[in-house]
Amino acid sequence: MEYVLALLPMLVKMAIVVGVLLLLPLPLTWMERKIAAHIQQRPGPMRVGWHGLLQPLADALKLLTKEDHIPAEADRRLFAMAPVVALVPPFLVFTAIPFGEPVQVFGTEVTLMLSDMNVGLLFILAVSGIGVFGTILAGWASNSKYAVLGSLRSIAQMISYEIPMGFSVIGVVMLANSMNLSRIVAAQEGLWNVVVQPVGFFVFFIAGLAEAQRIPFDLPEAEGDLGAGYHTEYSGIRFSLFMLAEYLVVVMLAALNVLLFFGGWQGSPFFLPDTVWFLLKIGFFVWVFMWFRFTFPRYRYDQLMTIGWKVLLPLSLLNILVSGILML
Amino acid sequence: MARTSVKKAGWIGRVFFLDLLAGLRLTLRYMFSKTVTHRYPDHEKWVPYERHRGHHFIKTNDEGDVNCVACELCSQICPCDCITVIPYENEKGDRRPKVFDINLARCLYCGLCEDACPADAIKLGQEYEVACDHRPKLVVHLEDLVAAPRKAEDGGQLRPARLEPGGKRRSVATAAAGAESHDWWRHIRKGK
Repeated sequence: MEYVLALLPMLVKMAIVVGVLLLLPLPLTWMERKIAAHIQQRPGPMRVGWHGLLQPLADALKLLTKEDHIPAEADRRLFAMAPVVALVPPFLVFTAIPFGEPVQVFGTEVTLMLSDMNVGLLFILAVSGIGVFGTILAGWASNSKYAVLGSLRSIAQMISYEIPMGFSVIGVVMLANSMNLSRIVAAQEGLWNVVVQPVGFFVFFIAGLAEAQRIPFDLPEAEGDLGAGYHTEYSGIRFSLFMLAEYLVVVMLAALNVLLFFGGWQGSPFFLPDTVWFLLKIGFFVWVFMWFRFTFPRYRYDQLMTIGWKVLLPLSLLNILVSGILML
Repeated sequence: MARTSVKKAGWIGRVFFLDLLAGLRLTLRYMFSKTVTHRYPDHEKWVPYERHRGHHFIKTNDEGDVNCVACELCSQICPCDCITVIPYENEKGDRRPKVFDINLARCLYCGLCEDACPADAIKLGQEYEVACDHRPKLVVHLEDLVAAPRKAEDGGQLRPARLEPGGKRRSVATAAAGAESHDWWRHIRKGK
């Protein structure tokens, strides 16, 4: 009985996180479509529900009832595995993301995160690196040239942008003397890291955009030359799993931007609980990602590689050097 | 406007992404501007201007008699030969059309019939929803032309409308002119 009671908060937290993450794409697709529409001076979805609020539900139903098609030449096992492999890392990352200070519930202290790891940041970077496997498998298993080319592109892109992304957060780690995300947030009390580490933020933000394969770095999905990239051959529920993974990566990056550079739940106005304030900041970053998406065109492939290796990587190394010298 | 500011800033501007920021500013401004979509046909309908050349109509005088004197000038001038007029003499001894058919499927809405008409009878009105599912329905007769909507006096307005599925009317029902309508063009951001 003691054992169960000890496990209970953890189980409840897991259920909440998994449930929220699974449902998250519904409001996010609505938001994305609305933002796209309003940038183009359209009202967007208006028919299903109030201002089209139920549109994502209708879309989800449509996706679920579509034919689940597997190409004849495909490697069936890998083909079925790839969406799940793509989906696991974004879920896993959220185990390490804190949502606020520990709170008191019925006399016991409950931390607002699934697992308070000392190497939280490293864990997140490592796990999000696994995400590329979903892309590799999807492209390979489809046995289609568009899918393979798309997945090759995204592999090259994700690997080359992971390096500046990893380097750019080192400055933050140096400032906080810890890789624990709660400690990093605590270290930003009073002064957010974005003020101290503007270059680090800049590199992290751009590398994050590339990592999430958002415009202007959404080459894997360049419709003009590649069909739909690595998920060209996917349809129905498997396709929606890829979409889910994509949206979760966006939310994850927004959360990381907030945690590492915008003070996490610090500096909330007096009337807002810390967690709500934190979620609002995440929402703001998601909105910025979408705003970018409908403003910029896409970079060419060689430009993408140039930006990654010749601009972001030296910048992030320089950032480490300069912040190291300043700290001495 | 956006472009010039970037040009002035030169390479320094490019280092600080002034060009990208200009783009972001533009889309942000659009994001919070009014939408221009007509919610046609079940919420709004745009009423065309008075100069619009839509479905024809035939004017009548105060006694309810058609102005048309069946001179056939309109059918003569019509470039696509879509007007058929057959005259007759009515009980008052006036020349009037016995048949006045317009084949809307052939008509190109050039308005030459309106110009040629010596009796101020045939006009092109505001009606533009002439689509139907049966081609013979597109040949309209004298009584249809007399009943057709006139030129819009408050053209350019967006009026509340509703859709009547299976209704007898071919066009979307709109509310009366005035009150709820607004000038759609006023809402469009002029190019900057």
